[in-house]
Order: sequence, then structure tokens, then C-alpha cells
Amino acid sequence: MIQNWLILLPEISLMLFFPVAMVVNKYRERKTSKTFFTLSKLFLICASIFTIVFYNKSVWPEFWVNNQHSTLFKELLYIVGLAWFYLSSKWFLNKNRPSFGFYMIGMAIILLLAILISARNLIIPVFFVPALCFLTKCMINQHWDENKVKKVSLMYMVFATIFCFLLWGGSLGIWYETNSLSYTFIAKYTSLPGNKSLLIYFSSLMILSSLLFMMAGAPFHFWFIDSISVSILPVCGFLTLIPPFAYLSCLIILMNIFGSISPDLQSYIQSVSLVSLVIGALSANAQTNIRRLFAYGTIYNLGFMLLGILSFKSDAIMSAFVYTLIYVMAMFGIYSVFLAIKSKGDYLSSIDDIYGMSESKPYISVAFLIFMISLIGIPPLLGFWGRLSLINVLVMEGRWWHFFMLMVALIFMANAFLRIIGKLYFETANCHFDRTDKAIYICLFINLLLVLVTILDPTYLLHDTEIIFQKGY
Amino acid sequence: MSSSFALLSLIVALPFLGMLFVFTTKSQKETQGHNAFHVCVFTIFANIVLIWRVFMLINEKSRDLQLQEKFNWLSTPDINIVFAVDTFSLLLILSMHIAVLIGLIGVRSNIYKQKSLMVFTLLFLSMATGFFVAADIFSFYMFFEAMLIPLFMLIGMFGEVKKQDLIYRFFLYNFIGALLLFSATMLIYYYYGSITLQQVAKIHIKSGVGIYVWSAIFLAFISRIPIWPFHYWISSINSGIRNPLAFVITSFMPISGIYGFIRFLPSNFSADINNYIVWINIIGAVTMVFIALIGLINRDAQYKIFSYVTIYNIMYLLGVLTNDNIIEHNIGYSLFCFVIIVASLSVINSYIYHKEQENDSDSRGFLCRARRLSLVYSFMIIAAIGLPVSAIFINNFLILSKLLGANLEIGGLLIFAILIVGVTLLQELIRLKTNDANCKLGKNDDISTWQFVFMLFVIFVLVMSFLNPLWFVINE
Repeated sequence: MIQNWLILLPEISLMLFFPVAMVVNKYRERKTSKTFFTLSKLFLICASIFTIVFYNKSVWPEFWVNNQHSTLFKELLYIVGLAWFYLSSKWFLNKNRPSFGFYMIGMAIILLLAILISARNLIIPVFFVPALCFLTKCMINQHWDENKVKKVSLMYMVFATIFCFLLWGGSLGIWYETNSLSYTFIAKYTSLPGNKSLLIYFSSLMILSSLLFMMAGAPFHFWFIDSISVSILPVCGFLTLIPPFAYLSCLIILMNIFGSISPDLQSYIQSVSLVSLVIGALSANAQTNIRRLFAYGTIYNLGFMLLGILSFKSDAIMSAFVYTLIYVMAMFGIYSVFLAIKSKGDYLSSIDDIYGMSESKPYISVAFLIFMISLIGIPPLLGFWGRLSLINVLVMEGRWWHFFMLMVALIFMANAFLRIIGKLYFETANCHFDRTDKAIYICLFINLLLVLVTILDPTYLLHDTEIIFQKGY
Repeated sequence: MSSSFALLSLIVALPFLGMLFVFTTKSQKETQGHNAFHVCVFTIFANIVLIWRVFMLINEKSRDLQLQEKFNWLSTPDINIVFAVDTFSLLLILSMHIAVLIGLIGVRSNIYKQKSLMVFTLLFLSMATGFFVAADIFSFYMFFEAMLIPLFMLIGMFGEVKKQDLIYRFFLYNFIGALLLFSATMLIYYYYGSITLQQVAKIHIKSGVGIYVWSAIFLAFISRIPIWPFHYWISSINSGIRNPLAFVITSFMPISGIYGFIRFLPSNFSADINNYIVWINIIGAVTMVFIALIGLINRDAQYKIFSYVTIYNIMYLLGVLTNDNIIEHNIGYSLFCFVIIVASLSVINSYIYHKEQENDSDSRGFLCRARRLSLVYSFMIIAAIGLPVSAIFINNFLILSKLLGANLEIGGLLIFAILIVGVTLLQELIRLKTNDANCKLGKNDDISTWQFVFMLFVIFVLVMSFLNPLWFVINE
């Protein structure tokens, strides 16, 4: 009994945050974002340590399994979460806004995502995905002017409800066909010849659709773009940086259990990825809001990643993981830069506002430049490695048309980023920028250092990861 | 031949490290970029010494890539980074460093974003050096594409290009070329794995894919050479650049294309390829004549230099396409002097242009009063048009004889274009030497002593190369 409680310590640590934070919020007079960040840091570090300690122990293996694969994704989730909470605290301090809600919802989302990563039974997504959608809606609502985000959050909730119904419908279909919601059982059932009924196919399609909606794959991307446009910067960063690893893990597991019907599902994922590529790359060129532009960049990158992972072979999964890791690193840098683009206390988001920024903010501009080049995938930066590893998969699988599509989309995406670089460096400044917090410089420096060191010797980072992916999920 | 010390990696890394140093130098307002300038000069000078050392370690008569350095980079896909050099690539690296050093003289007094200029110059130098020492398909491609970003930044910040859209299109145009090379590289990797450049020339890929691979490689390299119909973007950018350093650096784009052909050209041409070569020869010759005539009638001295650079680049390309080993050596020796001469002409031209702007005067007759400048400029023009003062003379003579022997009509057109461009340069020299009372530029506007001494050293290098192209190599 005690052993079971001990195994649950990572989740308990995360859950303990809520009562402690509530008590602090109620009784502490001088509470700032720093207070809540310190609390979240404490509980996230505890969760991270306990996750490593109990990396292969599970309380209810039928529902929930901890293994190397889940540990890897959870650790990344905690690290990115911790880093983004740190930078977000600077935003709240600067704007002098209450941060209690943001940290509470953020920690709750991290907890649910961690549970989803370990899930081995459809009953968990059935209960937790609607909760996750609701929390995401609450997260979008974290704005001092609720009217600004009301419409977007309402629209999100409507569509999230539809996709939750799809998830429930899909799970019901699976249960009706197999009499079980266990991943292992479903995988065994679908692998038997003659068990690939139309119901199973549609059910898996419905479950996958709800996941793709959460990932913001086109054409289900609209909520993401709108949320990024209106939300406060910490929320934008949170929605962009935190969920990718968790959803990638869920996608890998789902495609693993629907493995035998994957040829049919592949064409579905393929269409979503191609649409994401095209919409992301083309729409990014039409944006005047820098955050919206990068939101479309996220859609494009998702399309890129999905196209690579399509076969769900070990190499493809590894490449998708590498790509996501590099993408998150670059986007973390981009969002750190967003925190530095500030004038008279306001965080700027229009492309016109960054004209000639290189003159007054040379270091921030260089970091911005490096991250954008990395996102385009130009060598010798880290992004090239991500691009190379995914394209290598396409080449090895002989998918030349996909390769061609990627190249075309890449040119359009590069054009969108080039225009920002042009505004940063080739124009004269028309705005006075505020002093940048040292914390942002530190974050950027560490991020750039990682980018530089990793490109020189990428194998140090991925040796163990390769072993984890080879062992299975 | 192998080296116990990773010298080649060092000559790639040194400009990059220099760039990091420049990046951390004191801010522009306090020092007006002098610290950045001095770090940049020191870095390039140190690298020249290293390159000189590498020259002494290789067998300059061998065509093999030597001093191979191999690094395991990735396991999935299995990619190794291989560096190696031969005389040709080393000559290009050395000339590029000397050219940039000359270009730096032209921007010494520049105070506009001097630090950024130095940062991107060193970054370009590092990437371009990596490109010339790359000995396998992946590192070759990586540096081929990596050169684009510093180039884009230099053109955008210092090119004074009025239409910004032109810069974006120029980058995208080159980027598409690089992606074509990437697709060809991936296909070669698919069939043969990560192979060295010396093996590329010998590969045989099945017909359909083979046609795509070679077409992609061909388009990737030719897109960097201002030959019709690829001339528009390069000419619209290069002909307008006033910053001498930026001009010197952009002049390397066509050379990177020519170098690509040298490394990737199949060892034996099939009859089909020969048919294509004939067409390229025709298009190249027509482009040369066309640009030479435009250069002749254009009054802008910068355009005249651009037309000179373009014509010689196309000539080198046609020389490379003869697939003759001896001619390849001649091209290497000729390119070494050509790059230095272009850099010198560009710096002098920029100097005269700025003097015109400062004094609000025409430069006609300026050289009658500025004797030091007159000496240097006259020598450079004489060397540029191929008179016997540099390695260009004998080597171009051999390249042209080979081309003339291969096809009399095309060879004739080439000689015609080269003569016209020679006249174009002389026309500018005569204009500057024709005394004009309205010229406000005087003796005080002449180049400084240290600039003169440096240019005399450059002249010395060129004259010595006439006597022996590898005069500086001391065999151990």
C-alpha cells in the first residue's frame, strides 16, 4: 500500500501544489508572480526527481504505465514548464498583474499532460481530455480584459466540446467492438486478421481527430491562431511550448495501438500534415502580427513533423522527436525574445514595431536571427539537424512527393522569416525599447549555448534516447 | 597525406572564433567599430599564416584531396564531416582571405554598423572556407547553404539596394539553388551513402534519377553564376553595391558555383552531356558579349567592374567545362590573381566614389593629382586586362587557347568579349587620367602612406605570381 503511494509521488507532488498555492494566495500579503513561480518550481522539481526515481514502477499497469519512454517525455514537459514559468513570472512582475490563476491552471495542465503520457487505457483520455480542454479554455481566459478573449475562448470551448464528443464516440466504438479500452488489448485485437471492421477504423479516426485538434493540426488550427493573437504572452508561450511533447507521445502510443490499421490512418495524417504545411507556410507570409506569424510557423512545423512520422517506424519516431525537441528549443528562444520586445511597459507584437531593433537591441536581435534561421533549418544551426533527420526518413522511404512538398513549403516559410530579419536589420529604428531583464539574457544565452554545443556533437544528447525508442512504448 | 593537427578545422574555426570576439567588443558609439575592425584584421591575418602553413604540408602537384580530417557527426542519418584540400581549393581560400583583407582597407573609416559588418564578414569567411575545404557531399552542401545568411545580411545592411524585395528574392533564388543541391545530395546519399567529393564524379545512378540528380546539381551551381537566364538577380544586386567589402564578398558567389562544377563534374562526359555543354558554351559566350557591351556603354565605374567580373567568371566556367586537368590548374592560378585584382579595383573604385561624394566633384582627371593612387590603379587595370604582370596573363592565355581549340566560333566570341571588357576598363582609366580643370580632387585626396604600402605589397604578390604562381610555397 505504502509502495503504491510512493510510486504516485510525482503526481502527488504536482497535486500538492494546488492546496499550498491556495493557502499562500489567501494568507500571504506580499505575493507576487515570483512567489508562485518559486512554489511551482519546488513542486515541479520534486515531480521531476520522483519521476526519475520511479521511472519503471506503475500502480495500475492496466491504466497507467511508467517506463523509460514516459519518463523521457515527462521530464521534458517539466523542464520546459519550469523554464517558461520562470520567464512568465517576469512578465507578470513587469505588468503588475495577478499570476495565481496562470500558475494554478498551468500546473493543472502539466499534471493532466503527464497523466496522458502514461495512459495505457482509453478511459484516461476519455476523462482527462475534456478536463484538459476546459483548463485550456481557462488559460486563454487569463487576460485582464476578459472581453478581448471571450469570443475566442467561447469558440474554442464549442469546438473542443465537439472534438471531445468525437473522442467519446470513438472510445465507445472501440469498447463496443473489443469490449475493452486497454491499449494492449486493442492493439492485440486489431492485429488479428479479420478484426479490422469499419467501426474500428472510424473509431480510431475519431480519436485521432480529437488529438490532432489538440495539437492544432490544420484544418483544426483556427483556435490556436486566434488564441495566440489575443492571449497574454505567458499564455501564448505556454500553449506553444508545453503541450508538443505530451501530444507527440500520445500520438506515438495511439499509432502503436492502431498499428495494424495504420495504412488507412496514414492517409488521414498525411492529409492533415500536408494541409498544415501549406496553410502554415502560406498564411505566415500574410501576417503583420509577429505572434500570429510564429503561430502559423507552429502549424507548419507540426505539418513537417507529421509528414516525417507518418510510417511510425523507429527511425521516423526518433526523427520526429529530434525535430520537436529542436523546434521547442527554437520557439523557447523566440518567446524569450518576445519578452524582450517591450516599449513603455507594453509588449509589442506588430512587425512594424520591430523596425531597426538591431540598433538598440543587438544581442536580442542576434538571438532572434539565430532562432529564426534555425527554424528555417539552414546549416550549420541546430534546425538543420531536425530538417535533415526528418527528410532522411522521407528519402529512405522513397516518399519523393512529400520531400518535394516540404521543400516548396520551406521556401515560403523562409520568405516569411526573411521579412522579419529584414525589418530587424535593414530598416531604421522607429521605436524606443525598454531595458531588457537580465533573466531573459540568461535564458537566451543558455539556449544559444545548447544550440551551439548540440550542433557540434548531437550524439551526446541522443544516445540514450535512441535506446529508449528502440525498447518500445 | 595526413596531418597530426586538425589544421583544416582550425582555418574554418578561426574566423568563427574571431566573429565571437568581434561580437563581444565594446559598443559602436565608444570605439566607432575600431576594436571590431582590428580583431577582424588580426583574425584574417592569423588565418593567412595558417593557410600558408597548410600549403607547405601538401603536395601541390597532386590532384588528390589531402590532409583529410574526418569527424563522426550523426549516426541517423550516418553522416561524417570530412575536410581535405588540394592546391586549387587552398589557392581560392588564400585569395579569398587576401581579398577580404583588401576589402577591409576600403571600409576602415566606415562608422555605419562597423561591428555588424565585421561579424558577418568573419562569419562568411568561416563558412566559405568550410565550403572550400569540404571533402564530402554533406559538408559541401552544408557550407554551400550556410554562406547565404551572412551574404544576405551583408547585402541587406551594406549593399544600399534600394528595393528591399530584391534582396529577399535574391536570397530565395539562391536558397532554391541550395535546396536543389540538398535534394541531389539526399539522392546520392540514398544510393551511395555519405561519400567523398572525389567519389561523386564517378557515380552512376540509374537513368531517370540520374538525370534529376545531375540537373539539380547543375542548376544549383549555375544559379550562382550570372549566365543567362540566371543573370538577373545577381546583376541587379552586385552591380549596385557601393561597400567594397560587401562587393568583394558577393563576388565569391559565382566562384562558389564554378568550384562546385569542378568538384562534381563527372570524370567522363557522355555524348548527351556533351550536347548540353555545347549549349552552355553558346549561351555563355552570348552572355559575355552582351554584358561586355553593356559595360562599355555604361558610365558607372562600378558596373564596369561588375561586367569585368562576370565575363571572367563565365570564362572560367567554360574552362572548367572542358574537363581538362591542366586547364583546371590554370584556372586555379588565374582565379587567385583575379580575386585579388577584383578586390583591389573595388576598393579603389569605392575610394574614388566617396571622394567624389565628399568634395561634390567629378573624378575626371583625379589620377593626374593623386600619384600613389594612379600607380596602384594603373597597375591593377593592366593586370586585370591580362597583360604580363600577373598569373592571369599566361593562364588565361592557356584557357582561351583550349576554348578556341575546342570551338573556334565560341572561342572567337570569348576573345571578343574579353577585348571589349579590357577596353571598358581602360576607358575608365583614361577618364581618370585625363586632366580636367573642374576636378576639385587634389593631392590631399590621395591614399595614405600605409594604404599605399599595403597596395604595393599586393602588387608584389601579383608580380611574383606571374613568375611562379606558387612562389610562396616552401617545400619541406
